[in-house]
Amino acid sequence: MTGIAQKLASNQKQVAISEFFEKNKHFLGFDSLARSLITAVKEAVDNALDACEEARILPTIRIQITKVDANKDIIRMVVEDNGPGIPQKSIEKVFGQLLFGSRFHAIRQSRGQQGIGITGVVMYCQLTTGRATHVRSKIATEPTAAFVDIGLDTRKNKATKANAGREIWYNEDGSGKEHGTEVTAEMKAKYQKGRQSVWQYLRMTSIVNPHAEIIFIDPDGEKHHWTRVTERLPTKVESIKPHPHGIELGQLQRMVAESNDLNVNHFLLNNFSGVTNRARKELCEAADIAGTRKMKTVKGDDIRHLLEAFQGERVFNGMPVKLLKPPTNCLSPIEELLIKKGLSKTIDSRFVSTLTRVPSVTQGNPFQIEVGLIFGGDMAGDKPVEILRFANRVPLMYQQGGCLLTKAIESVDWRQYGLDQAGGRGVPKGPAAVLVHLASTNVQFTSEAKEALADNAEVMEEGRKAMLEMGRGLRKHLEKKKKMAKTKEKFELINDILPAIAKKSAEILDRPVPELSGSITKIMSAVISETTTEWNKQTKQTDVEIILFNYTSRVRAYTILATWPEKSGAKIENNENGGRKEALGVWAWKLESLQPGEKKIIAYSLSGLERGDWTETEVLFRGSQDVIGATKMDEKFLQEIRRQEQILDESGIDSPDTESMSESEMESEQVSETPVEETVEPAVAPPEGQRTLFGGEV
Amino acid sequence: MARTHTAEETKTAMHKVVAEMYDRIIKGEPPTMTLPVRTKTNIGFDKKLGVYKYGKKQSVRDATSLGSAKQLLRTLHVVEFIEEMLDAGKSSTLREMYYISEGWGMGKFGSQNDSNNLAEDLEIVTKCLREDFKLRPEEDGARMIGNLTLRERNRRGEWMRINARDDVGDSGYGVPYNVELEKIELLEHDIDFIMAIETGGMFDRLIENGFDEQYRCGLLHLKGQPARSTRRIMKRMSEEWDLPVVVFLDGDPWSFRIFASIAYGAIKTAHISEYLATPSATYLGITADDIVAYELPSDDLSKKDVEALNAELTDPRFADSWWQEQINMMLELGKKAEQQSLAKYGLDFVTETYLPEKLAELGLA
Repeated sequence: MTGIAQKLASNQKQVAISEFFEKNKHFLGFDSLARSLITAVKEAVDNALDACEEARILPTIRIQITKVDANKDIIRMVVEDNGPGIPQKSIEKVFGQLLFGSRFHAIRQSRGQQGIGITGVVMYCQLTTGRATHVRSKIATEPTAAFVDIGLDTRKNKATKANAGREIWYNEDGSGKEHGTEVTAEMKAKYQKGRQSVWQYLRMTSIVNPHAEIIFIDPDGEKHHWTRVTERLPTKVESIKPHPHGIELGQLQRMVAESNDLNVNHFLLNNFSGVTNRARKELCEAADIAGTRKMKTVKGDDIRHLLEAFQGERVFNGMPVKLLKPPTNCLSPIEELLIKKGLSKTIDSRFVSTLTRVPSVTQGNPFQIEVGLIFGGDMAGDKPVEILRFANRVPLMYQQGGCLLTKAIESVDWRQYGLDQAGGRGVPKGPAAVLVHLASTNVQFTSEAKEALADNAEVMEEGRKAMLEMGRGLRKHLEKKKKMAKTKEKFELINDILPAIAKKSAEILDRPVPELSGSITKIMSAVISETTTEWNKQTKQTDVEIILFNYTSRVRAYTILATWPEKSGAKIENNENGGRKEALGVWAWKLESLQPGEKKIIAYSLSGLERGDWTETEVLFRGSQDVIGATKMDEKFLQEIRRQEQILDESGIDSPDTESMSESEMESEQVSETPVEETVEPAVAPPEGQRTLFGGEV
Repeated sequence: MARTHTAEETKTAMHKVVAEMYDRIIKGEPPTMTLPVRTKTNIGFDKKLGVYKYGKKQSVRDATSLGSAKQLLRTLHVVEFIEEMLDAGKSSTLREMYYISEGWGMGKFGSQNDSNNLAEDLEIVTKCLREDFKLRPEEDGARMIGNLTLRERNRRGEWMRINARDDVGDSGYGVPYNVELEKIELLEHDIDFIMAIETGGMFDRLIENGFDEQYRCGLLHLKGQPARSTRRIMKRMSEEWDLPVVVFLDGDPWSFRIFASIAYGAIKTAHISEYLATPSATYLGITADDIVAYELPSDDLSKKDVEALNAELTDPRFADSWWQEQINMMLELGKKAEQQSLAKYGLDFVTETYLPEKLAELGLA
């Protein structure tokens, strides 16, 4: 945003807005009539989502597109939200202000990284139709809504307002609207269907904003409704200071110039993350700058030296200065369960697996990769899988081929996981959709158009690892499905067909119906387990039932283990078989003896979950004889879980940040001699590994 | 061995099959049905009978998979159904049985082919005939024209004397599905040989040209792969009247198979080859030589044709040197020809030149 705002600021004086628009429309998102409409919807919806998130309101957004004049491609867009509303005097600022007070010192994950926001839409409407944008907004504390037409004076390059007033805002049902904002804009644009459409943009938005209710009325009057699947708002993200590894010269120069800090010591400690007192001292030494230097005296070469020290080109004691990793609480991932719900509500399928990796850092910027895979159902089996790309919860709809996230998908040999892929490269084919979300404080795009993520080895590696993990989940699911089909057949055989054979043969021969148990044992010759995981409407709990049949001629003994979403806050209820906790999210029951022909049932319920949160329980076993329908316990699997458990425990501990120093110490040169605590190891979660992955049947 | 059985004999034979399943359950084992392997790898020449029969390879159908178990259950339903028909003195077509199976619940047939195969399985295992089971085929019997006389018992139970030249129209005498003694008696003839013809067009051509009278023969229209009754009546005429049988077919791999089923026995019905096959039958044409010698208009062999020819090379029924030569020659030519391609030289060429020349080689003209 910063770059464009500045460009706009510097250009403003020389060129007319219309010229500016014409020159920059490709990265403002208005380069084609179809894309212009998507951009307009996007800016309005992003604003609505951001406002609701800020005010902690569950968003309900209604978007209506109508064709005003089909011959001239004139389209009207109305976007209404239930956000906090905008005070009357601020409406102009939000919709008509070309410059933004950019807080470039504050770094956090944010939606608005594309275009110049809603002002761009106002400009576009004015330039293409000559019409102003009508805004109506109401805040809860006022009885009436304010309305105003915001336009642009293209000669004076200034925002204009007209027809301002107040009115009572009625909802469709006649009740008064409590709070919210409505934008009505007419523009030259084209409504399209397909992969790059308003519909697709809203659908994708709804997937990554499961807390939002989105209603879309298309030009044919058809209503599309994406429901809210969770009441949980995204966590509020914290701003963090820039990390020295992610700073560029220009930025550092600006920071130095604008600094109000007393001296270099203060500057380093106050404006950067990851700089401990020790690091501060070492950086000064490496840059050959006294920590007590006043900021005003820091110029040209000093800044360059400082940057070189940041980047490890200038060293301390022959080594680059060690810095803490930046904190990762500035990221707001969507999280596994919610991605799963978002995907499930928009795509009908048989299997969904989602994964949120633990945060990682690249060039001083924290980032986090989330992926989701949805398989089966009504999706076409002979076409490339649908790729759903997101950066900070914003759908990326163009330039799929050149995007890092696509490359991460393509780098995996999907054939081993049950999808078609010519030569083991490229976008796989099959009845599936793959979602990739990058949450980051600094999303790097390939171009100003901001539709494709630029190459980055660390992000790529994280994405690839996530894909591999998900692929394994898919393979497991497919194998399990095959096994289950076989088991089902066997049950049909012994429960239906065999008794019928016995009965009919006895009838024909006029002899007594024979006993079947011997034949059944011979036919099955296995221990079989059947597991059901079902939502119980009455109790609002998820009921799990694991049934074990011993169809062998010997007594068997097992430890049966089942996965459950402990991490998501679920609790095991009505577990009459007892057992014990094996690891985070894994419960175990010991079955001392299972007699030939015997059937045992382990039943329990999971509370603290919503419907659809947990739809598939993985059952594992320890014991010598194979159990059809369960997986033999791989002890590595447990180790992995325990390792993650440890990571999560550690991430709960607050990071011992920069030690504060007394003013007096800071003033004196002796400060640098003061021994300070060495804190090399980051206290936030290390980047390796992932949270968990348990796929689920939808 | 292949002969008709009484109702009691048939029931006893079927009960043996049922008892195999029952006894296995009593022993605590999965029920089974044992039957010969029905592929070309398990047919061998029976010197005594002069035809190809199933060998000793057995396959066991056991109830350890859902498909096989369902097949066993169907078998039981079929046995029960046949017993009911035997008791009630009724019969049904295979197609009727297929529809009746709709009421058999889990034992119903998946397709009509299923019911046909199962009836054959049961024939093979019990050594009874389809006729013993009171199951009639849907298949169309052949047409016959020529100076031969037989007696057929009509549906009122009366015997009718029919001369297949004087008492029939242009379409000839229609061979019924049952051609056993209780239905058909061969009375007398004034012909020198029987000619079996693959296509209706050629059959009609020969009749129109008066070939049957000029060359003193009986003409039989096979209608493609001949039905059991067609093969059975050929065999009876050949044996009871001591007449040579010549077979006139298209020149392609499928015609070779038709001939093999007439002369040596079909793989699917190898259990009753001695009852259906006519070992003395001779392949008249169209041969691979003919395509070259008569410069017949021909088509390229399709991929399937080539596959079929290659399969025939390893089929024991085509093991003799004449067939190996013909098959290899056709593969080399890469061509096949229809009977009616002879019309290239005019409508009378087949009756005035081709057939007389071919028959002369056999000493029949």
